[in-house]
Amino acid sequence: MIDPVLIDAAERVFTDVATFDAVEAAESEGFSAPIWDAVAAMGLPWISIPEAEGGVGGTLEDAMAVLRIAGRFGAPIPIAETGVLAGWALASAGLELGEGPLSIVPGQAGNTLHLEGGRLVGQARRVPWASTAAQIVALVDGQIVAVNPADAQIEVAANLAGEPRDTVIFEGVTPMQVAPAPESVTHWSLRIRGALSRAALIAGALEGIVNLTVAYTSERRQFGKAVGSFQSVQNLLVRCGEDAVLVGLAVDAATRELSRGHGDFEVACAKSLASDAARTASRAAHQAHGAMGMTREYPLHQLTRRLWSWRAEFDDAAWKRDLGAAVVRFGPDQMYRAIAEGSGSGIELGS
Amino acid sequence: MALRLTATELTETEQSLRAEVQSFLDDYLAPGTYTPGLGMAAGADKDLSRALGARGWLGMALPVKYGGRDASVVERFVVVEELLRRGAQIEQHWTADRQSGLTINRYGTEEQKQALLPKICAGEAAFCIGMSEPDSGSDLSSVTTRALKVEGGYRVTGTKIWTSNAHFCDWMICLVRTSDSEDRHAGLSQLIVDMASPGLQVNPIPFIDGTADFAEVVLDEVFVPDSGLLGTEGDGWHQCTSELSFERAGAERWLSPYLVVETWLHEHHEELGEEARSFLGAAVAKWWGLRQVSLSVARLIDEGHAPSVESAMGKDLGTEFEQWVMASLQQLVELEPTLAGASEFERLFAKALLVSPSWTLRGGTNEILRGVIAKGLR
Repeated sequence: MIDPVLIDAAERVFTDVATFDAVEAAESEGFSAPIWDAVAAMGLPWISIPEAEGGVGGTLEDAMAVLRIAGRFGAPIPIAETGVLAGWALASAGLELGEGPLSIVPGQAGNTLHLEGGRLVGQARRVPWASTAAQIVALVDGQIVAVNPADAQIEVAANLAGEPRDTVIFEGVTPMQVAPAPESVTHWSLRIRGALSRAALIAGALEGIVNLTVAYTSERRQFGKAVGSFQSVQNLLVRCGEDAVLVGLAVDAATRELSRGHGDFEVACAKSLASDAARTASRAAHQAHGAMGMTREYPLHQLTRRLWSWRAEFDDAAWKRDLGAAVVRFGPDQMYRAIAEGSGSGIELGS
Repeated sequence: MALRLTATELTETEQSLRAEVQSFLDDYLAPGTYTPGLGMAAGADKDLSRALGARGWLGMALPVKYGGRDASVVERFVVVEELLRRGAQIEQHWTADRQSGLTINRYGTEEQKQALLPKICAGEAAFCIGMSEPDSGSDLSSVTTRALKVEGGYRVTGTKIWTSNAHFCDWMICLVRTSDSEDRHAGLSQLIVDMASPGLQVNPIPFIDGTADFAEVVLDEVFVPDSGLLGTEGDGWHQCTSELSFERAGAERWLSPYLVVETWLHEHHEELGEEARSFLGAAVAKWWGLRQVSLSVARLIDEGHAPSVESAMGKDLGTEFEQWVMASLQQLVELEPTLAGASEFERLFAKALLVSPSWTLRGGTNEILRGVIAKGLR
């Protein structure tokens, strides 16, 4: 059960601070201090990390519900990274979360990080908000390491939404903190959590584009009537609405299973559905908006550009291949059990 | 966005029902002992329907005193899902179990309930739906079949068309015009018509796959006693549209091609390339997600809500997915399937290709349904 008081409070703070202008401004500044400060003051980034470990408590369901709200506003802050990804990894290893935003090194082709005599060497690509993070967290050679960004060489880059996804180069950096990774923190479990976090953000952004599309097609008039009264435009609206409902539900169900300890199958399904929906719903929303949606003056791009980025982050098509391979291994006679019972059926996805 | 579905899962009681149904069907429908079909069009097997009735798995949501078990929508989902995913021949009881029984229970007289509901629960009364007419499809208000009030009942004249299984059904719930009105939605009524009535003729309409389960039902001054009026005279349109509004999002909206994929996997799992595995993964993810939608909608109904828009979404999402499955398989499988094909997969694949267009139009086309959904989103 998600805490309704928390949801109310989160809705209010994002409504207040994650305005169109604030999201636009973050793109040139690389980070939105006003949004981060307000959200952090409420402790929202640290939900689901126990208080004893430096978090604010709450459940994984609570954390995903807040991510969904953040996604609806296109909030340009590392809220997923700070909590359910890097924060979780640090806390699980008994390390300090500190106070600022955190970044996590995602599993990414081309990453060459390794430890040489306790020093971090190599490079990592697409590290979110690396330069503005208080600590960059990575799983390297079985160790959880946290590095001060000032000690790294950072090549600033961005995703399609203009959010920082930097290339970080380490040339023998001594980590601020290091500890052996507990069994629960692996590249696989980080990929699973990363995928769920992106699916939750996508679920929120889908709700956001439904709201925009409903409003625009009701107001915009052509041929003497609201464009939303044309059946073909209604079809576009329905495409977005159905995608939002399906993905939101899938994220809820996957979060429930993961928080019980076995949710790989469900997370893979949810991310696969979310990535598909990111494609179909953003196309439908743009089509319904006509030229207005193509401008930077109108908020649709703040959501659709994020959808196109989040779709790919923590994998898209790879989940379908993983699921398909798992079903083949599990056997044709067991396929329906996997669909109906999910992870509880015993189907194994990967490492 | 106001619409939102909440995740739900089977309770312990529902899980034990599932285990009970599985154990019965594992035995009764042992692989190789029956011809599996596709979803709602899998064929009819009177013995299976009676066996299910004997176990209390038909008309489950109906009151105990009429032979039901006051079961929930989720419990019915559990039973139906197990039948559909095995391609069980469910058509004998399908319409009665899914909607006719509920409609009679909601609008019928005590006499009608006592006479019909126990038979539905036993799998002994088959129902068909008399809505469509040659000039009346999605727009039910254009129904012209007329019921003239006569001494002791009605004389019904008109033609119902595209009626599934009319040839073996005992009863038809027929939408008729009982009076003329400025408002075309008024003046319609539902009658429970005995299919053995004099003046009623069933003419088979050959279906696209060569089967003869589709029919035209011609009514020529068919007498229906007053006791056959279902609900209130003049309320037929309202009764009809509420009939299916919540039951649209069942497993039958996404399981039609399930066995095609399962048999394909059975016969080809050792030779699947990357593209095939991706398709399989995408399909399984969507099946999992659509199952969450059906369960969630069912739970909402059980909790007393009226999720008609969510339910319509479930139907649109599910049946469009079914079409996607067939389109994808055609691209993946190097085979020109025939109905007399050598393997079970080939036969099911051929059958599915022929009937798949019906999936997105039966019970109301998706295009019309989306108008309902769009209204709900505003």
